[in-house]
Amino acid sequence: MKVQLVNIGKKYEGRENFTIRHIDLDIDDKDFCVILGPSGCGKSTLLRMIAGLTSITEGDLLFGGKRMNSVEPKDRDIAMVFQSYALYPHMTVYENMAFSLKMRKERKSVIHDRVLEAAELLQIKEYLYSKPSEISGGQRQRVALGRAMVRKAGVFLMDEPLSNLDAKLREHMRIELVRLHKSLDTTSIYVTHDQTEAMTMATKIVLLDKGKIQQVGPPTLFYEKPANLFVAGFIGSPTMNIFQGEIKDGLFHSTEEDFVVEPKAEDLALLKPFEGKKVAMGIRSERFIAGLADKNTVHVKVDVIEMLGKEQLLYCKFPNGKECVISEPGYFEYAVDEEHNFHFDVDGLHFFDAETTERIN
Amino acid sequence: MSKNKEKGLYLSDRPPLTPVKAVLLTISYILLFFYVFIIVWPLAQIVFSSFNGNQGEYIHVGGAYQFSLKHFKYLFQETYFLNWVINTIVIAVATALLTLLFVSFTGYAYSRYRFKGRKASLMAIMLIQTIPAFVGIAAYYTMHSIISAVIPGFTRQMFLILIYAGGGIAGNTFILKGYIDSISSELDDAARIDGCGNLQVYRLIIMPIVRPMLAIIALWSFIGPFLDYLMPSILLSDPKQYTLATGLYTLITDVRNMHQPVFAAGGLLTAIPIIILFIALQKQLVSGLASGAVKG
Amino acid sequence: MRYGTTIMDDIGNEHPRRNLRLAERGALEERLESEPKEKAAQIKGELKSLPRKEHDYEKKFAKVRAEEKAFLAKASERKTTFEGSLADSDPTIRKWKLEAMESRARAEFYAPHADLSYDFELLAEQHRMIAEQLPAIADTRRETLDALDAAKADLEAAKKEDHSQANADFRRLRKERLKQRGEEKAALRKLYKSGQISSKAYVNEKHQKDLAAAEDIRSMKQSLKINMLADRVRYLKHRLKQDKKQGIAVLNSDISDLRRKTPIEVTKRCPWISYLTFPLPGLGQLLLGQTFKSIFFFIGSLYIYLIAIPYALGRGNYRGQGLFGLVSLAEGASRLDRSVIFMIEGVIAIILLLIAFLIYYNSFRDVNRNEKKMISGIRLNNWFETKTAAKHKGFPYFASSPSALVTLFIVLLPIAVTVLISFTNYDPTHQSKFNWIGLANYKQIILGQGIAGGPFWLITGWTLIWTLFATSLAIFVGFVLALLVNQDRVYGKRFFRTIYLLPWAVPAFITIMFFSIMFSPNGPLTALLQQLTGQVINIKESPWGTRIVLILLQGWLGSSYVFLLCTGILQSIPKDLYEAANIDGATGFQQTRHITIPILLFQTAPLMIGQYTFNFNNFSIIYLFNGGGPFEPSKYGNLAGSSDLLISYIYKLTIQKQFQGIGAAITMIVSLVLIFFTWIGFSRSKSFREEKL
Repeated sequence: MKVQLVNIGKKYEGRENFTIRHIDLDIDDKDFCVILGPSGCGKSTLLRMIAGLTSITEGDLLFGGKRMNSVEPKDRDIAMVFQSYALYPHMTVYENMAFSLKMRKERKSVIHDRVLEAAELLQIKEYLYSKPSEISGGQRQRVALGRAMVRKAGVFLMDEPLSNLDAKLREHMRIELVRLHKSLDTTSIYVTHDQTEAMTMATKIVLLDKGKIQQVGPPTLFYEKPANLFVAGFIGSPTMNIFQGEIKDGLFHSTEEDFVVEPKAEDLALLKPFEGKKVAMGIRSERFIAGLADKNTVHVKVDVIEMLGKEQLLYCKFPNGKECVISEPGYFEYAVDEEHNFHFDVDGLHFFDAETTERIN
Repeated sequence: MSKNKEKGLYLSDRPPLTPVKAVLLTISYILLFFYVFIIVWPLAQIVFSSFNGNQGEYIHVGGAYQFSLKHFKYLFQETYFLNWVINTIVIAVATALLTLLFVSFTGYAYSRYRFKGRKASLMAIMLIQTIPAFVGIAAYYTMHSIISAVIPGFTRQMFLILIYAGGGIAGNTFILKGYIDSISSELDDAARIDGCGNLQVYRLIIMPIVRPMLAIIALWSFIGPFLDYLMPSILLSDPKQYTLATGLYTLITDVRNMHQPVFAAGGLLTAIPIIILFIALQKQLVSGLASGAVKG
Repeated sequence: MRYGTTIMDDIGNEHPRRNLRLAERGALEERLESEPKEKAAQIKGELKSLPRKEHDYEKKFAKVRAEEKAFLAKASERKTTFEGSLADSDPTIRKWKLEAMESRARAEFYAPHADLSYDFELLAEQHRMIAEQLPAIADTRRETLDALDAAKADLEAAKKEDHSQANADFRRLRKERLKQRGEEKAALRKLYKSGQISSKAYVNEKHQKDLAAAEDIRSMKQSLKINMLADRVRYLKHRLKQDKKQGIAVLNSDISDLRRKTPIEVTKRCPWISYLTFPLPGLGQLLLGQTFKSIFFFIGSLYIYLIAIPYALGRGNYRGQGLFGLVSLAEGASRLDRSVIFMIEGVIAIILLLIAFLIYYNSFRDVNRNEKKMISGIRLNNWFETKTAAKHKGFPYFASSPSALVTLFIVLLPIAVTVLISFTNYDPTHQSKFNWIGLANYKQIILGQGIAGGPFWLITGWTLIWTLFATSLAIFVGFVLALLVNQDRVYGKRFFRTIYLLPWAVPAFITIMFFSIMFSPNGPLTALLQQLTGQVINIKESPWGTRIVLILLQGWLGSSYVFLLCTGILQSIPKDLYEAANIDGATGFQQTRHITIPILLFQTAPLMIGQYTFNFNNFSIIYLFNGGGPFEPSKYGNLAGSSDLLISYIYKLTIQKQFQGIGAAITMIVSLVLIFFTWIGFSRSKSFREEKL
């Protein structure tokens, strides 16, 4: 089902300002949409508005073209998985999964079939008659998914469902969730603060901050063309290196005047209007090229080395104390306190307006 | 796997007993058994004297002992003991049910809803529960005559039930609210998505989960009327309407009814079910008291 | 308030005025404020000369209103034409379709006039929505109805078929499933017997097997043709009801969203209705068009004018004179009219009036707020919106109002009466009629004067001694016992725990009364003491004898509870604390001193404070043991005995000796002190500080 948010806003009672406002978003049928953002950005509020657990102050919420603003949660054709799983502790796994259908007075044979079907798919058939307290965290997670599945809802909502699992299991469940999403043929909306989850699972990411959408698009777009400084800093690990500076005579001069960069021709054309203005330049750690070049070179001292095997992260310092992260293949030999030359790959440069923080190129 | 094995392992784990420790341990045992004697002796006297047929109106310890059930016979035939039992149970059950009914609603509402006046009324609840129950004794008797004039069938016992239940609302609301607070509100959300309304969320989800706490509240409300002497002694005047505490008291103070061994028999019969209840549910009862610590 | 050129809707968006007359006025008024004073006179003149009824806009508007009237008058005519085109057998569907057609007609009528007024726009949009959504709801209903009819027919047909084969199959399958369950359980038993699973797991697994089998059999039974069909009929019936409810609810909430977005224009600019109608809650709501809401407030009005106010004026009282009774206190009334009745009824009148005031206030605020909203451009809630809001926001009020009422009358009313009595001379000579005497009772108590106030300080002294010693003894004994029993090497923990629990488990009044018997002049313990000391010691006749025995007895009674609490905490102290101490070289004694006791003290402190307040008010033990005696008239007068606590003294004064005035005054002093101390303890407790209230 297609989910559309048109100019959605929420103002909590007794608060002066809108927690979240002017949200316009189209989520296509069968999309896996991840709403990403730091804590307190309003992403949970947004999800709860879609679920109907929080009322919508302004704007329209459309499911498949139908307006849903004041439809009760149970009638919205949604299913939701909660962060704490929210399994009813006094019911068996079977009863947990059957509860929503029972509340809808669904036919008993249908209930039984659907519960068994979901249990089969999620491999929890053995625990059907156990209480949630008797099974492990990973199994509970599956039960929570199963409970949402049996509803056969058009929209599948997930509120940080993996945050209570350990790292190994989380990695495993990420893959399973994507597989499940494909087999269910539904639209999924997934809220998280973890960029890895977003990058690996989403077909579409929505990055929220301070109640506003910062960027929408497929995961690659976020990495390759971050829309503003916030996105650039939020997505990617290690964090993108950002240098403040100024455009003078078509060249980027860092604020401390310790290096000068000549952007490529296409970027230069876009940078023209910023002549003499403050600009921030970003470069990801892997876009540094080792060695001296005739231009765009920096001279830095290696401060800390983080060896990851196939690559290594060099935390370097400029002579004036400014820091940057550079990643190089693992087999290169570097040692702490050595001084080296690197030059920028001009195809990997990102320019941002320092005032508005918006992307320029 | 078996328990014995574990214990065996544990024993061998301990450092060997030194002579000083052995002496200390012996002293401990002596003290412990001494206190066992202090507790058991008087209680045993109740049991013995209730069965000793060789007594008249006064209890005699020592001297001739003759097993007999005559005091029990007297208790059932010559006193209103059965009435007292029934009265007490009716009052206790009604108090427990009424308290549960009131408190379920208020506890849930205060825990889950943010409404105007919530803060103020919570403060009021906290203040009310610190006010001792005896404050109103001057008014209760007259209040009953006013109410019974308006509602003719309103007996003193009903009023007693209302006083017990009403007096417990404040404190118990606070306890239950605290307990419901500890349940994740995501459960409510899940239930709402699954199709529950306000009351269904409570009835189908919250209530089953808080059942242990409800049981404790019900249990304490139930036991209260068994243990209380003050309120019934103020309100109830007809010996037939008495509860156990006021009724049994007549057997040792009233010169006409004076019959100490019969009191022992009645006390024994009253105590046994309550002792069983306390021993079986000691954990729950203690935790209930602990969570209502402020009530004192 | 001035008109202004724009109005605000509920969400906070601004809209231009469509009432051009008001817009002109608004514009002029804005100029009046913004432009220099010299022009004020001129603008005022313009304002005055602005046409009212003759304004072009008003004329146009009146014309449309007339057309509207004519249009609406033809509604029944349209209805008959529409009805002819409807063929559905279901009355609900016919009703909906009819409504949809009428709405389409109305939408068409209002749409061209939308620019004239927001009301017309709202009506046009609202009817467009109805015309659009109702047929869809009706179609769904038709589909479900058809399916239901088919299902019913199938069911009837199936009932006539022969089911013996199917039933036999079911029985066979069930038997097989039960056999399988038996086998599974047998396998489990084997596992359990051979010690591979614990008894808990065994019981658990067995239970799960039962559940699984029951669920399977239920589904087998359900898949019998006839059951499936019956289930389908039941389901479709439910669907029918649900769809109707849901469809109408969605339509209603869409309309309400529309109302939030479409502003309203009113000519008035002062919320006069609320000021004029506040004496009659409900009238204001009715005038503002909120009919259903007004019914509730009218019920409130009935309460105010038929119950609260008459009662306060003395009508319908039991004997009293309402509020006036508080002043007169039955002075000059007949012998049967006791002052205390008048006082209580006076307090009841106050409570009833307070509730009445609450209704007045809420009604006034509701109307006032709504009027202001309307003036600023916000549409009021219709019935559907009011109902929804009441369901969500009203729930906590509905849920807690019975408790609030009971607390008000059963708890607060007696407290208020006691407060009032403490300012009267309610004593043996003034039982029927008493008067206000101000603070005289308090003065008597504080100065220790009079027969009732005399022994106050003596009793207070003993109460404090009692509280301190009895509680401390119980805590000490319970503490020590807990430490002794919970030593590693002590065997028979369960035995000791059960025995030590007994003083708590046996109802206290029974033990107290029994000890009272045993210490009576010819009681067994008196005899025993005589044997031991060779003298006749009559405990109940000796003030200090009674006091010491009481303290010991409370130590005996109270230690159980302390013991239980401490045991619970001792068991929950993590073992690794002791192991760490062991490694650090601490001896057993040092471990007890530096680990066990601090933890115990820290965790039980609030509960122990509770024990002190409990004993401060421990009425039963004093009263049941020796009736507060022995009496020492030379020191205590005739009203109190030498072991009386404040609480039992209050009881005697109030219930037995008829010194209610002084009794109430002492109650007040004691309660205030108690409240103060519990409040301090409470406000320092963790739960209070962490509660975000």
